[in-house]
Amino acid sequence: MKIKDIKNLILKSLTGDEPDAEVINNLIEATGDFSFSEGFTDKVLDKIFNRDVSESHDIEFLQSLNKIFYRIAISGIAAIILLLISIYISQGSLSIDSFLGLGDIADESIIYILTGN
Amino acid sequence: MKRSTGKYSDADDMTLVKASVDGDKTAFGEIVNRYKSMVARTVKGMLGDTVFAEDLGQEVFIKLYDSLPGFRGEAKLSTYIQKIAINITLNEIKRRKRFFSMFSRSDDDEIHEYDVTDTNDEERKDAREIVNKALQQLEPKFRVVVAMRMLQGYSTKETAEILDLPVGTVLSRLARGQEQMKKILKRL
Repeated sequence: MKIKDIKNLILKSLTGDEPDAEVINNLIEATGDFSFSEGFTDKVLDKIFNRDVSESHDIEFLQSLNKIFYRIAISGIAAIILLLISIYISQGSLSIDSFLGLGDIADESIIYILTGN
Repeated sequence: MKRSTGKYSDADDMTLVKASVDGDKTAFGEIVNRYKSMVARTVKGMLGDTVFAEDLGQEVFIKLYDSLPGFRGEAKLSTYIQKIAINITLNEIKRRKRFFSMFSRSDDDEIHEYDVTDTNDEERKDAREIVNKALQQLEPKFRVVVAMRMLQGYSTKETAEILDLPVGTVLSRLARGQEQMKKILKRL
């Protein structure tokens, strides 16, 4: 079909309130198939159903990450409690000086240490 | 590889939808096989025969699959799919328009990548190229209405239903689209 005929068909297909089936069919025949490439269906199905598998892998990973976080957090809290208890036992209080190991050192002793007098 | 969907070849759309919702891959494959040509005409007709059109076609069916549990069968499945295809295509057109306007280029400068391996029929390829070029020079709101009439032969009522527009609006857009089309075709 010539280009001029295609243009005429395009314009005819838009004429009137309702489509003219014959004109539309001629235009469809002239333009041929607007199909997707070979294997389109397989690509779509693979994307959809493999996406489910990869999503479930992601969920499993997040769940295991969550478990690991709780284990580390519980061990960390236990370690902090033990540290506090040991500081309290050794220093007799939980002041900042006790945390820094300065609870038993008098001011004069510090000056002596720093100046040697 | 051609997927066999013989089990569902005679099944009606609702049966396929229900089986797909239950995770039946073969049933959804049958839906894709039934409606891929319709989606291709819409997407490729409005965007051109580009490599992006294929990806968009896949997106249409992925979105369809995700929304199938909410499909109650009040409208025909073809209408439902067509709505998804048009929405996705219009979003892509808007996205491209924004992208090209960022680089001070007009919408007419969009990249056309015609798939030369699609058909060996030169005349049909030329015809498709004219249709694509003409459609892409139309304003998007006219483009949809014109593409639905030209490429799919939808009636005014069907077009109005798919686009959620009053029939009068469809008719006026069609008339204005036709006016624009005349000018475009003169230039081509």
